[in-house]
Amino acid sequence: MLAQALHIARLEALLALRKAHQLAAIAMFAVCAVYLVYQADGFGQQNAWAAQLWVVYLFSIFSAAGRLFDREQGPTRRYLQWAVHPSALIGGKLLYAAVLTGAMTLLVFGAFYLLLGAPEGANLSLLALIGAGWWGAFSMATTVTTVTAIASQTRAGPAIAAVLGLPLLIPQLILATRMTRDVLDGLAWTTSEHFVFLGSLGLGTAVLAILLFPYIWRS
Amino acid sequence: MSGKLWKWGGVALLLMVVWDSFTTPMQPGWVASEVDKSDANAWLVELSAAGHPLVDGVNDNTAGFQVIFKSESAALCAEVISVEAHKLVCRLTPPDTLPRPSLDAFVMTPGAGSLMLRNAVSVAGAVKGVPHKNCEIGQMQPSTLPATVPFQPNILETIRNLMFHVPMWFAMFFIMSLSFVSSLLYMRTGDIKYDQRADAASRTGLLFGVLGLITGSVWARFTWGAWWVADPQLNGALVTVLVYTGYRILRAATGDDDRVPRLAAAYNVFAFILLVVLLMILPKYNVSLHPGKDGSPGFNTYDLDNTLRSMFYPAVIGWGMLGYWIYTLGLRMIRVHRQLLNR
Repeated sequence: MLAQALHIARLEALLALRKAHQLAAIAMFAVCAVYLVYQADGFGQQNAWAAQLWVVYLFSIFSAAGRLFDREQGPTRRYLQWAVHPSALIGGKLLYAAVLTGAMTLLVFGAFYLLLGAPEGANLSLLALIGAGWWGAFSMATTVTTVTAIASQTRAGPAIAAVLGLPLLIPQLILATRMTRDVLDGLAWTTSEHFVFLGSLGLGTAVLAILLFPYIWRS
Repeated sequence: MSGKLWKWGGVALLLMVVWDSFTTPMQPGWVASEVDKSDANAWLVELSAAGHPLVDGVNDNTAGFQVIFKSESAALCAEVISVEAHKLVCRLTPPDTLPRPSLDAFVMTPGAGSLMLRNAVSVAGAVKGVPHKNCEIGQMQPSTLPATVPFQPNILETIRNLMFHVPMWFAMFFIMSLSFVSSLLYMRTGDIKYDQRADAASRTGLLFGVLGLITGSVWARFTWGAWWVADPQLNGALVTVLVYTGYRILRAATGDDDRVPRLAAAYNVFAFILLVVLLMILPKYNVSLHPGKDGSPGFNTYDLDNTLRSMFYPAVIGWGMLGYWIYTLGLRMIRVHRQLLNR
């Protein structure tokens, strides 16, 4: 029994090492989350709160937008290739991602706020916080959708999406955390300069995705 | 022959830069002061220096040295007692009144110009007011030392890292641009040679990125006290290295699938454009510890003097050429590998 278990464990380790991208994906998630929290270090409770919120958002966005191309395999894929223009396909996926992340923001923020409450001394506007969350989540969802589109073309699966997407999400996460911090300081979420940056990043990414997608979608 | 000439030229340039940057002495400057106040009427101030020796020879003399302690408009002469290679001791009669409770030291040297140390002596007991000016400041003498690298209080001898750290990032950016353009060309033409170029360039660029991180980390430890600091430049550097690590993993994980070149090209274009945008936005509006960014002086403004420039520009060209050479070697390896596979 024990010998068999040890053998299986050894086999797992060997296979994992052979598929290094899966280990890399784990490492990438760890680095990304730690780095986000590190950015908030030493700036007091509000920043820690904002960083925690965005770590939660990060994982939710990934599990939401990271599955957008799960169905496009085999016959479905061939049908879609024949039926719709690739730019329309990615455009539709991006629109859906925006709605999905909006709904997800409500859920994540609701649960987060219910359990953790507001940070001390915050100038709280729930609506502004939700708005900031949705805006940042939308911006990141475009990136996740695009790298998922690339990753789904390989046989390596969702691990590759994490490896490709997380590095690009770090700056967006930092921006989003700062926007949440601004909101906690009492700024309206649309007047924060990070609002403009995140919005243009999201739109820019969407445009890039629409331009590049026809290219990766061909078989 | 000409094909080899630029390679060895680049290496020669780098060797010259390395030799120059490590053999050129540093301009002397004060790093610390210690005040012995046991005699209330004659304080002994000991200034310690780094860099090029203040005097040479065993029997040191104080000729040509003048020490003045200043506090806004107040100026107090001190009597120079001894000068050694990296130490100067002088006697100061403490003032009764001062505009602010600390004195900056100005030392006129016979060879190295005038060297200053801010807040060298604190005079806690002095009454606020301007004391009698008790000395005449001699003529400022320009430095007559041979070529030296500038003295920077926190950086000190590590200024030589300027020839490694900064040009390595330049080289990385140069090679990554090569990779980006190759990926664009591959997307346009579908010619596999462009994919091979993008592949080889991303490998070399990543190497330089990692070298840039390591040299930067060592430098940060010395000047800022930590291996890693929360700084927008560092965020950008980390993101860049991670993105290209991702690109390498994408290529490795998907093996010899014939769709890989296309996916890799798409990701390369996507990531490079995002990186340029992000790296331009992020550091812009945030205080950086890096020189030349908001909140800290640049190497360009006053400290990139002609001596540093004469090493820095060749270093940029040399690292760029070395990077390009490594890239061509990597490209050759990829081609050979492919030929072996196709056999």
